[in-house]
Amino acid sequence: MECKYIEELLSPYIEDELNLKEKQIVEEHLKSCQKCTDLFLSIKETTMTLADFPEVEVSKNLLERLYKTPVKKRKFKISFDFLGSPSLQPILAAVSVFLILISCYIYNPNKNLINKSLNRQIHIGYSKIERLVAKAESFSDSLGGYKENIIVSLKDINPFGETEE
Amino acid sequence: MQLEKIIEKCLEGNEGAWRMLIDTYSKKIFNMAYQFSGKYEEAEDVTQEIFLKLHYSLSKYDFNKNFIAWLLSLTRNYLIDQYRKTKWKNKTRDEFNEYYLASFKGMGPEESILKEETRKFIWEGFNNLSSEMRMAVILRDIQGKKYKEIAEIMSLPLGTVKSRVNRGRLQLARILKEKKEERNGM
Repeated sequence: MECKYIEELLSPYIEDELNLKEKQIVEEHLKSCQKCTDLFLSIKETTMTLADFPEVEVSKNLLERLYKTPVKKRKFKISFDFLGSPSLQPILAAVSVFLILISCYIYNPNKNLINKSLNRQIHIGYSKIERLVAKAESFSDSLGGYKENIIVSLKDINPFGETEE
Repeated sequence: MQLEKIIEKCLEGNEGAWRMLIDTYSKKIFNMAYQFSGKYEEAEDVTQEIFLKLHYSLSKYDFNKNFIAWLLSLTRNYLIDQYRKTKWKNKTRDEFNEYYLASFKGMGPEESILKEETRKFIWEGFNNLSSEMRMAVILRDIQGKKYKEIAEIMSLPLGTVKSRVNRGRLQLARILKEKKEERNGM
């Protein structure tokens, strides 16, 4: 049996994680191989030493530093945690874009030109609406006496094709 | 006080509860950092950073999960990150006796010189292990964690954890054997 293969089994052997057959293979090999027996003993000593490894005490200085971890800072952070929630992200993005546009307008050196252009656009829009309203009114007038007939015939339309019994 | 209560109080900003949390876990975290880095002062700084991280992450802690496993996972991630950034592997570790001697004092005469020497060899041998292997061995053999817990802490499959612990032990055992042979003039 190759030593390389046995080496891989030594640690699980110590932890009793091998099946009966593997256990027997390891034990048989250790009987005849001094090199693997030495390694086995060394692994055993290593695990035993590590299991019994001493712990160092924490210095008073470090403890004081740890106690002083800023509690207030954390409180502040928690109170604003909701801002990071995914549901608020589209709103925050829209608010950011709006604020950028506002700041572009406020700090623009050609603010007057923007004002004029905006006024013109508002007036154009307003007059378009006025024209549309006027057209609608004239259309309503031109219908005249037919208006009521149209309403009655619209009511008679059966969109689902059902027949009255 | 129950752990859940302590954490809840910490989240409310109760300083007494925070101190309680530090008193309970600081030794474990500091020792893990020291065993991993081998540098006392760096381990102190790292412990402080880990507790600061804990402080900020506490609100994200899931009460259904094991707190110690969660804290150790936080510690593991931070230590591995630091290892990559600071290249601890290229630095020498503190002399073993420097800080550990204090802990031998109370042990009495049965603690043989040979045992102390074995510990020293293993302590120095840690520098030859890769960061992941070193972490796996520390968690398994020093901290005494189960393989399943280590797999959870390290976010690795169980088989990978077992293989890393196995290879780590083999490497340390070889180093120990070599050093002992050197000492004996073989």
